[in-house]
Formats: sequence, C-alpha cells, structure tokens
Amino acid sequence: MSDVTRILSAIEQGDRSAAEQLLPLIYAELRALAAQRLAQEAPGQTLQATALVHEAHLRLVHEPNAANWDSRGHFFAAAAEAMRRILVDNARRKASTKRGGQFDRIELPDLAQRAEDDRIDLLALDDAFEKLQAIHPDKARLVKLRFFAGLTLEETADALGISRTTAQRNWAFARAWLYGQLHEA
Amino acid sequence: MPLDTPTAETIFGQAIALDSPAERSRFLDRACAADPELRRQIEQLVADHFKAGDFLERPAILRTADPSVDSETLGTLIGPYKLLQQIGEGGMGTVFMAEQTHPVQRRVALKVIKAGMDSKQVIARFEAERQALAMMDHVNIARVLDAGATESGRPYFVMELVHGIPITKYCDDNHLTPHERLELFVPVCHAIQHAHQKGIIHRDIKPSNVMITLYDGKPVPKVIDFGVAKATEQKLTDRTLFTQYGTMVGTLEYMSPEQAEISALGVDTRSDIYSLGVLLYELLTGTTPLTRERLREAAFGEILHIIKEEEPQKPSTRLSDSGAARHGSRSLPSARPSR
Repeated sequence: MSDVTRILSAIEQGDRSAAEQLLPLIYAELRALAAQRLAQEAPGQTLQATALVHEAHLRLVHEPNAANWDSRGHFFAAAAEAMRRILVDNARRKASTKRGGQFDRIELPDLAQRAEDDRIDLLALDDAFEKLQAIHPDKARLVKLRFFAGLTLEETADALGISRTTAQRNWAFARAWLYGQLHEA
Repeated sequence: MPLDTPTAETIFGQAIALDSPAERSRFLDRACAADPELRRQIEQLVADHFKAGDFLERPAILRTADPSVDSETLGTLIGPYKLLQQIGEGGMGTVFMAEQTHPVQRRVALKVIKAGMDSKQVIARFEAERQALAMMDHVNIARVLDAGATESGRPYFVMELVHGIPITKYCDDNHLTPHERLELFVPVCHAIQHAHQKGIIHRDIKPSNVMITLYDGKPVPKVIDFGVAKATEQKLTDRTLFTQYGTMVGTLEYMSPEQAEISALGVDTRSDIYSLGVLLYELLTGTTPLTRERLREAAFGEILHIIKEEEPQKPSTRLSDSGAARHGSRSLPSARPSR
C-alpha cells in the first residue's frame, strides 16, 4: 500500500490530520512528473494539467476499488491545489527573474484563444481566486478541480458530492465572477 | 454581502438560462424587485458570463521551455545577427528570421539548437564539414552560411532564408496532380545528388526540410538544413528517443534501416536515397510507408525492428486499400492519381 493510499484510507476513517500529509506528497510527485514530461517534449509543446494529475493518480494510488469517489475526491482536491501552486510559483518566478528558457518553465496558455496579447495573467487570476476562496470557498474548490486539475464537470460534481446542476450553475457563477474581477477591476 | 445568499446564485442560474437580454432584464426586474443593489450585481455577473467566452474552460496547461530565447527577446543580437521573428519550431530547435548586419546586410534563417547538446562538439563537427558545405552551389539547396554558439552556450546555424512551406503541404494545398508532384520532386533529387557529389550527406530528409518557395510565381523546391544533422549527430539511441521524443517520432518515418542501427556507422549516401523514397511515397499516397500511427504505437525496440525488417505496402496497394482514406487528412483525394 503506498503512502498516498494509506493516507486516503486514514482520511476516510475520519483522521482529519491525514489530509495535511497528502498535499506535500502529491505536490512532489506532480512537480517531478511535470519536469520529466516537459523535458521529453519538443520546445513550445504543451502538456495538459489534466493528463499530469491523472497520471499522478495512477502512480500514487493503488486502490482496487477505484470507483470510490470519496477518496478520489480527496486526492483530486489535493492534486488541484498542488497544481495551482506549481503554476503560480512558476509564474511568480518567471515574473521576478524575467528569465526565459528555464527547464521547467510553466505558464498559462492563451486561454481564450484570442490575440496573443490577451493572455491571462496567472498571478492576477490567482489574486482573484484567493478572493473567491474567501467569499465563496465552495466555488473556489470547484474552480480548482475544473481548471487546475482539469476534471470534467461530472467528475467535479462527484468529487465535491454535489449535483451536476449545482456544479454547472456554480461553475458558471465562479467563471463570471473571476472574469469580472480580471476585466473590470 | 448580498451576493453571498443562495438566492443570488439561483437567480443568476435562472437568468443565464434565458435566451434574450430583454427576457433576462424582465426576469431580474421581477426577481430582485426589492433589492436594486442585488440586481446590479447579478446583472453584472450575467453580463460577464456572456462575455467570458471560453475563459477558464480549458484546463491549465504546462508549456515546455523555449529552447533559445523568449519571444520578448526578439531583437537581441546573436553574433552579428539580430533576431527579427520566430518562423519555425521543431524538436531540434527554433528557427528565427534574423538580420545580418556585418559584413553584409541581409536576412537569414537562424536555427538555435535545443539545450542539451555539447555546442563545442557540434561546432567542431560543423567546422569539419564547412569547406564541403561551402562547395555546394545548387539552386535547390539553401546555403548554409555560418554556425556558432549563443551566449547561453547553445549551438546555432545560419542558413539562407527560405520563405516556403513543406513540399507535402504545398502539393496538398494546391491539389497538385501526381505528374506535377513528380515534376517538383525531380529537382529535389538533383539537389541531393549535387550534395552527394560534394561528399555531403543530408541525413535528415523529410518534408519539413524540403521547402517549396515561389520564384516568379513558379514553385521551386529548396532543401534546407544541410550539415545540421551531421553536426548535431542525431543518433538513434534510447537517450535521444527519451529526451527528444518529439524529434524522433517526427523523423522516424523517413529513417533508413541502416540509420535505425544503434551504432549508425553504416550511414552513407544511400540513406538519403531511402529517405527520398519515403518522401516520394508520401507525395504520391499521402502517407509514409511506415505510418506515423504504426510507429507511434510501437515500443522503442519494436520501432527499430519495423524500420529494418518490415516490408511496406506498395504505393498502388496503399492507395487501393480502402483503409487508405483513414490515414489523416494528407491522403486527400487530390493525392490520388486522377487518371
């Protein structure tokens, strides 16, 4: 049984402190995985956060009962937070050093696929995200799972234990809210 | 905070489900009749919802590092060359359009090789072949002008600037007949023969290294990247497959059996002929003899085996095979013989 699997089952048995141990483990795995995968790709290629998170799940969690969404939910929540930190750390480092070409430079794509200069500033997005987290923690969790871990709406609803309708509505709400923060400040 | 109430979300959810702005406005009038501030906030959110497009809809992406310079460093000097614009990107490096200021002023293509190669060795190998490269003089060969190392130690090559598109894409985009394709292919063969007579082997012939450029409205093929493959000594090993996966899968289809040997000692002019054959096959059928999908599915050892041992279908068989149409968009009807 891997560490992560053990922690997940501890969480399920009600051990609150176990959740805190989960994040550093998943963070380390995701970082290493990202660096390794990016090194294999041609320059300028992109990797989906989704793919990394799912690969980390396969590698770290060896549970026979994969349909157990409670524990998968915990895993993906931690993975989404880890992925957010990786992306934001890198954006911050890049902003402070203005140094290009580093091995594992990670940045956001042109999300809206509009003009190149219309790229989202990940640091600004994260500031808005922190505000969302303070006001609407449930919606912030949803955004994290959707955007940073790349779960589908259905998977997100399952992971959060909410209905798909609610997930759909909260997603639209959070998206509009964040968009407003970034564009009408 | 009014937006915090569950009603705000419910009203928002109902509002965005309505089709027209007028309907939404009427709905908000009714739903927030008692609370103009709530109405203003929700109205703003609804407006943002429709403006947001696909904002955040695609999950975050991690991007690999640019091999050489950031796009913001365009304009910097590498030796006597000023980077103007990125014009291409491949597994091996990034190609820029650059302006040479000294000793002559002209525009050139500058290819910066990806990090991870020993630039001293690369440049030494390039220097060794430089004289021979300089002897090449053929209208269908892009001249190799210079090589060096950037400040960060990456090797770069300077070549005649070719404004063009890969030969396969040109043929497909312009719906050339098989006969027209052959007419474009013949000068490519002449170019390679010219190089061979000067003792130069290209080693990496593939569509993206055979560009079509227009002279007086007439398509003229230009073989680019002579000397680059030799200098960067692309060997097929586990390591290169691992660290340069993108490159290897891009090139494997054109690789000759002797190049698929781990030691790659037996590479001579015939390897180029083999790759030319693959290119011709692709021009006529729309697919390479060993298809991309086939090689992508295979494990490393298996790939070598396939390249060395497998007998590909004849082009005519490939075309009459009903499955041919499935292989990507390149096997357009235009790629089929029209007679």
